[in-house]
Amino acid sequence: KAHIDIIRGYGKFTADPEPTIEVDGKKYTAPHILIATGGCPVVPSDSEIPGASLGMTSDGFFDLEELPRRSVVVGAGYIAVEMAGILSMLGSKSSLLIRHDKVVLRTFDSLISSNCTQELENTGVDVWKHTEVKRVTKSACGLLDVTVTSAMPGHKPTERVIRDVDCLLWAVGRQPNSEGLCLGQVGVQVDSKGHVVVDEYQNTTRRGIYAIGDVCGRALLTPVAIAAGRKLAHRLFEGKQDSRLDYENIPTVVFSHPPIGTVGLTEAEAVAIHGKDNVRIYNTSFTPLYHAVTQRKVKCVMKLVCAGKEEKVVGLHMQGLGCDEMLQGFAVAVKMGATKADLDNTVAIHPTSAEELVTLR
Amino acid sequence: GKNEYDLLVIGGGSGGLACAKEAAQFGRKVAVLDYVEPSPRGTTWGIGGTCVNVGCIPKKLMHQAALLGGALKDAQHYGWNISQPVHHTWSVMAQGVQNYVKSLNWGHRMQLQEKKVKYFNIKGSFSDPHTVRGLTKAGKETVVTADNIVIATGGRPKYPNQVAGAREYGITSDDLFWLKESPGKTLPVFILYISLECAGFLTGIGLDTTVMMRSVPLRGFDQASHMSKKNQICFTTQQQMASLVTNHMESYGTKFLKRCLPTKVEKLESNRLQVTWKNADLDTEETDSFNTVMWAVGRAPDTKSLNLETVGVKTNSETGKIIVDANEATSVPHIYAVGDITEGRPELTTTAIAAGKLLAQRLFGQSSELMDYDNVPTTIFTPLEYGCVGLSEEAAVQRHGSDNIEVYHAYYKPLEFTVAERDATDCYIKMVCLREREQRMLGLHFIGPNAGEVIQGFALGIKCGATYSQIMKTVGIHPTCAEEVTKLRITKRSGLDATVTGC
Repeated sequence: KAHIDIIRGYGKFTADPEPTIEVDGKKYTAPHILIATGGCPVVPSDSEIPGASLGMTSDGFFDLEELPRRSVVVGAGYIAVEMAGILSMLGSKSSLLIRHDKVVLRTFDSLISSNCTQELENTGVDVWKHTEVKRVTKSACGLLDVTVTSAMPGHKPTERVIRDVDCLLWAVGRQPNSEGLCLGQVGVQVDSKGHVVVDEYQNTTRRGIYAIGDVCGRALLTPVAIAAGRKLAHRLFEGKQDSRLDYENIPTVVFSHPPIGTVGLTEAEAVAIHGKDNVRIYNTSFTPLYHAVTQRKVKCVMKLVCAGKEEKVVGLHMQGLGCDEMLQGFAVAVKMGATKADLDNTVAIHPTSAEELVTLR
Repeated sequence: GKNEYDLLVIGGGSGGLACAKEAAQFGRKVAVLDYVEPSPRGTTWGIGGTCVNVGCIPKKLMHQAALLGGALKDAQHYGWNISQPVHHTWSVMAQGVQNYVKSLNWGHRMQLQEKKVKYFNIKGSFSDPHTVRGLTKAGKETVVTADNIVIATGGRPKYPNQVAGAREYGITSDDLFWLKESPGKTLPVFILYISLECAGFLTGIGLDTTVMMRSVPLRGFDQASHMSKKNQICFTTQQQMASLVTNHMESYGTKFLKRCLPTKVEKLESNRLQVTWKNADLDTEETDSFNTVMWAVGRAPDTKSLNLETVGVKTNSETGKIIVDANEATSVPHIYAVGDITEGRPELTTTAIAAGKLLAQRLFGQSSELMDYDNVPTTIFTPLEYGCVGLSEEAAVQRHGSDNIEVYHAYYKPLEFTVAERDATDCYIKMVCLREREQRMLGLHFIGPNAGEVIQGFALGIKCGATYSQIMKTVGIHPTCAEEVTKLRITKRSGLDATVTGC
């Protein structure tokens, strides 16, 4: 409908003087070329971890036809958290292996890392801390035996084998799809991990070539890529010279159980930037009304990070029922520079969980 | 002589308790009177007021029960093996809900004790501007005197006294939430949103439910004399929103008898109720039998027993509500009022609480901050929820002129509805903005799951003066329903199809 030609095939840059893309022997040029090739999950090489390739990634996860009886998820980022949560809730006996630490989501606010780790354990995921995979072998019945070492600080490392695993899921990061593009031919710079280097306008180091989305390695989110893409189009073709995406205060949700919502600075980041005396934290923890009549009680935790005399809200972090739908409106307000007083002046909606954010003391 | 208390609060509901507890924080001597006049059916309850006992809390829990029924049906599509049909047992739900409410009553009693607020379970009436007297249940007379008195006695559901048998055979929301047995085939009679909410969850738990309404959904609010034009609560003039909400209810099994006016209720030998009504469209008389008839035709304050004339507290002659100024002060010095009992204010727990707290802060905390009744967010917890904040489209047009406003809207489909094969035709968002420059947001209306959770943050946004362009600059959170607000592009003015397609 939009009259866009689709050319199917792998493209790469040629050595021609003007930037040119070759697909299956055919060459294409344009005054503007946008690289948006995304990324793919990382799998450790077999030389690093023997048998690693026997495991799967999130790509393979979505292809599963049956529920694995026994799952091992390796990783501590949001993808690992979401996959482990889904597997466990649907009935697979699941373990999550965290290599470096004792909490998941290390880059999130500490409230979220500790609470999320706790909730994973509450829902039946076996969380192994300070644990990494040594090797993977085929077990006697054709499943996988995963050998792991756990190195608790102050203790000797111990080795164990998790036997008869149907599903070993690597969720240890994603890498950009930039290798096969022959970017060197056109002087497009990449960083040490292969991410295409861009400025705030999505320009690469070669005039006329741009890049957006996961391949750039910043804020790997669908709405970010969409927004950046649209802004670029407005800049190039609508004459809006200043059109670019603001990468500050991007709200994100992790679909753990219960879900996590976060926007802005963590407490630690705020203290580092503003100094401890200039940061005020507001916290709450409560059981949502939904659990009034259930036996199972899952709490909701919320933290507001405020900076400066006027208590500007620089960060908002929460985990609980409904936090996924709650965050969007607050993200607008944080972007606008809302203060704690603004929240206090907003009448609550009752009964909801969201109202707890505007009644914090 | 000296008055016994610094503050006496008459009414232990949302507004009253908030005011009392806040005043106690300032080290003041505070007393609270609370008394529940049993309903004509004999239903009564503990401290906490309407919200806790016969309003928001039990309503939301029963709404949740109904949503779970829907989720159980959806679950099959998501791979769960649950044998259908799944049945609901009213008494199990009722017991869980009623136990929780009782725990809240207990919690309030404990808090009052902790804060050293004296509690009297008596029905008070004024004998002079600083004296209230009443009888305990045992018949003992108690006299309480105070420097300042706050009236927060709220309201109770009305009965349509022109309908024969209404009071003898019908119930109201006061009774519904305390029923020990299922209400069975129910006829909620509608003017207030509570009847849509109740009809929604009754249908959701499997009961045969028919809503009877005199005109069209939610239009009745235009005529509601207790809403002043100044305080435009968004669900007043929202015919579009109302029809989407009721469309959804209809497609899920709630029956509607529109433009029908009940004339009488009679009891049959089987203990069922025979209801007769006039159908205005067909100009005929019709009849049917039900197990339960629930009236939701308005709420009114119980001011008669307070003896307000004795002390000169002025009330609105039509509504009976107490007239207050921006300070929540009545016509009598040192006598104030908050909550549902006050004329021209929204009938909401949250505004009562906020107003009560601010009043205590002004009386005892050297504050001069007044309650701001503008941009109060609300949510109706019908099966498909409707949350809103700010102006309705009509109110914005009235205030600014149709050329000066821009309305953005979209029909969207919650991702959860796809696999579950649920009908999403009524999921809708409308944002009303000023047309000029940055397009400041005047009102936001959201119909969909979790509307209450979605709207709260945007209410904060409106308070901060958020504009359409600021909202569009905010990155959406994916996949959620809330992000659809940040994706609004189609204006009503353009006439284009507002259905969202794809990612």
